[in-house]
Amino acid sequence: MSRPSRPARPAGPTGTGPAGPVVSGRPAHPAGALRPRRSAGDLPRWGLYLPLALYLLFTLVPFYWMLLFALRPAGSTSLVPWPLTSEHFAKVWTERSFGTYFGNSVAVGACSLLMTTLVALAGGYALARFDFRAKRGFTLALLCSQFIPGALMLVPLFQIFAHLRMINSLGSVVVAETVFQLPLSMMLLSGFVKNVPYALEEAAWVDGCGRLRAFCAVVLPLLRPGLVAVGSFAFVHSWNHFLFALMFLSDQDKQTIPVGLNTLMGADSVDLGALAAGGVIAAVPVVVVFAFIQKWLVTGFSAGAVKG
Amino acid sequence: MTRTGTTHRITRGGPGPAPTPRGRHGSRAALAAALAAVLALTATACGDDGSGAGGDRGAEGTGKGEITFWDNNGGVRTDVWKEIIARFEKAHPDIHVKYVGIPAESAQSKYDTAIQGGGLPDVGGVQTAMLAGIAAQGALEPLDERLEGSPLDGKLNGSMLDSVRSAGGGDRLYTVPTSANNGTLWYRTDLFRAAGLAAPTTWDRFYAAADRLTDGARNRFGFTLRGGEGSIAPALDAMYGQSGITSFWKTSAGGATTTTVNDPRNVAALEKYLGLYGKDTPEADVNNDFRKMVAQWDSGRIGMLSHNLGSYQEHLKALGPRRFRGLPNPALADGTRVQVSNPVDGLGLFRSSKNKAAAWTFIEFALSHAANSRWNRAAGAIPANTEAVGDSWVRESEATALAADALGDGSTRIVQLPYYLPDWNTVSKADNEPNLQKVLLGRESAKDFLDTLADQLDKARAEWDEQRG
Repeated sequence: MSRPSRPARPAGPTGTGPAGPVVSGRPAHPAGALRPRRSAGDLPRWGLYLPLALYLLFTLVPFYWMLLFALRPAGSTSLVPWPLTSEHFAKVWTERSFGTYFGNSVAVGACSLLMTTLVALAGGYALARFDFRAKRGFTLALLCSQFIPGALMLVPLFQIFAHLRMINSLGSVVVAETVFQLPLSMMLLSGFVKNVPYALEEAAWVDGCGRLRAFCAVVLPLLRPGLVAVGSFAFVHSWNHFLFALMFLSDQDKQTIPVGLNTLMGADSVDLGALAAGGVIAAVPVVVVFAFIQKWLVTGFSAGAVKG
Repeated sequence: MTRTGTTHRITRGGPGPAPTPRGRHGSRAALAAALAAVLALTATACGDDGSGAGGDRGAEGTGKGEITFWDNNGGVRTDVWKEIIARFEKAHPDIHVKYVGIPAESAQSKYDTAIQGGGLPDVGGVQTAMLAGIAAQGALEPLDERLEGSPLDGKLNGSMLDSVRSAGGGDRLYTVPTSANNGTLWYRTDLFRAAGLAAPTTWDRFYAAADRLTDGARNRFGFTLRGGEGSIAPALDAMYGQSGITSFWKTSAGGATTTTVNDPRNVAALEKYLGLYGKDTPEADVNNDFRKMVAQWDSGRIGMLSHNLGSYQEHLKALGPRRFRGLPNPALADGTRVQVSNPVDGLGLFRSSKNKAAAWTFIEFALSHAANSRWNRAAGAIPANTEAVGDSWVRESEATALAADALGDGSTRIVQLPYYLPDWNTVSKADNEPNLQKVLLGRESAKDFLDTLADQLDKARAEWDEQRG
C-alpha cells in the first residue's frame, strides 16, 4: 500500500525557497506538483543514513560473529571465515542430534501457529462482534494474564500435564505455548475484526449467507495481515521458547532447538564452533519466515495497533 | 452505512431466528457438563506419569526393568555416558537405563520443578553447589548404608566424600562422588619462555608475570580474570590462596561462629588481586563469565588464565598441545598452597524411585574403576575411584595429574566453601556478583565488599544453625 506524497510548497522569492534551488532557470519542483522526497531544508541524508548504518552495524555484528565461528575451523583466530569448513554444522546436525531437534521445533512451531491462530480468530471475533455478560472483566483478565511469567506456572502446568499423561509429549509444549500466546493474539485479532465494517457482514446475510459463511467469504480475506502477524508471532515465539520444552520433555529425541543449543554449553567448557553452527540453524527459519512475511507483518501490527 | 467496531448481542447479531429459551438452557447444560468433566478429569488425577515427586517414598523394586538417569551436564558428556550405559546394559541385560541429558545451567530448576510437580528420575547427577537445596527438600536417599555394603567401600577418594557430606548439610551421604574439578592456573609456555619468566608456581611469580607480559599498546595482557557471572568463587580462591587462612569459619571465645572472609589478611589479598583489573587485564573482564574468559584467553593475546580443568579441551583446540600448561593454584613463598573447595560431581539416588535396587546397581557400575576412569578421562577431571587415579591417562595429562597430586598428597590446605547453606547460591551469585563489579570499577572498596559479604554469610549461617537446632 503506497503512502500519499505531500504536495510541494511554492518556491520563495529568491528561487531557493522550501521547494529547493532553481536549476536552469526553472524551479526544481514546479508549484503545485507532487514531490516524493523531502526538501533540502529538512534533515540531511547523512542524518538519516548514519544512524541507520550504526544500527545495522550494531545488529549485524553478532550475526557476523556467529557465522564466523560457525564457518571457520576450530582454533582459527581469523576475522574472515576462510578456509570455509562445514565441520561444525556436520557435528551439531548428526552427533548432537540437531536434525531431530529441528524437526521437533518445526512441529511445535507449526502446531502452535495453527492452534493459536484458529482459537484467537474465534475469540477475537467474539470479542469484537458480540456483547456478553462480563465482557469487560474477561478482556481485563486477558490483559492481566500477560503479567504472569511462564516460570510461575511451571509446577501447576507440570502437574496438569502429568495427570493427563502428556508429559514427555510434544503436545504438552504445543498446548502450553498456545495458552500463553492466546491473550495477546486474541486482543490483536479482535482489533482487526472491529476494523472490518459490520455492514459488509450484514450485506452477506441479506444475500443469504449464514454467519459462518459470511465470516469466511467476507471477513476472513480482510484479516489476512492480522492472521499473518499473529501466526508469525506464535511461530517465532514457540520456536525460540526454551522453558516449556526443557521442563515437559525428557526424551532426547523429543527435545527442541533451544534446549539443544543449551546442551552445547557445558558447566566448564563451551564448543563455540558448534554453538555458533547451532545458532545459525536456529536463526535461519526465523529469518526466512520474516523475509517472506515482513510486508504483511508491518501492515498487520500497525493496523491492529492504530485502530484496535 | 459503515459501522466499524460495533458490538452486538449474540441473540440479535446473527442471521436466522434467535435461539429459543430451551436452546439456551440446552447449551448451558452442555457447557456445565463439559466443565464438570474437565474438572473431574483433573481433580481425580485420572493418570500418572509413573514417576515421583519429592515427598514420595519410592520402593526397592525388583532390581530389574527400566530406570531413568538425568545427566546434569547433558550434551557435553552425552557420548561418554551413552558408552557407559551401553556397557552397563551389556553387563546387566535385565536393566535398561533411559538417559536424559539436561543443560548444565538448567539442571537445578529442572530438579526443583520435578521435586514439586513430580517426574524425578531414579538416578541423577548432582553437583555439590545444588546438593544442599535438593537434599533439604528430602528428595535424595541417604547412601551411607548402601555404600558400606558395596564393593566401592574404601575405594572412593576420602576428601571428595567429605565434600559431598559437608555439602549435603550434615553427616549423611546423599551422593556418591564421581569426580572433582580443581582450580587451575593455565599459562602460555611460549610467552613465558620468550619473556624469560619462570612458571607461576608462587603468587610472587604470578604477579611478576602478569605485569611483565602486559603491553597495553599492543593489546597484550598478562592475565584475564572473571568479573561477571560466577566471579565470587574464583575471587575467594585467589584471596584465601594468598592470605593463607585455612578455614572459612572461626569461633570466638564467646562461642559465636563467624566467617573469615573479611579478615584483614583476606582484605589485603583481595585488594591486590582485583588491583590487576585494568592494569594487567583487559577492561572487558568486568563482564567476563567463564565462556568469555576462556574464549579471550584462547585467542592468544593473554598470558595467564585462572579457571579449572574443564576447559582443557578448548585450550587444546585453540592453542595446540605445546603452547600452554596447567598448574594448581600458586603457592605462598613458604610453599604452602591453600585453595577453596571445588565442585564435586556425584550421583544421587532419588527417594521417589520405584526401583532403587536397579538404580544402585547402576551407580555402583558408574563408579567402578573402568567406568569412572573412562568418564573422567573424557571430562578431564579427577576420578573419585582411587584405582582410576592410578591409570596411565591421568599421568599423561599433566594438569590432571598435578591437580590429583595436590588434592591427594596432603600438601594443599582446602578451605571448604559453605555449599550446605541454603542461601549460599543467592549470597555468592545474585547478591554479591554486582558488588564485586563495583570493586573492579573502583566504586566500592574491597573491605566494604567483604564486610557486606561477611554480614550476609553470618546471618545465613545463624539461620541454618537455628533450623538444625
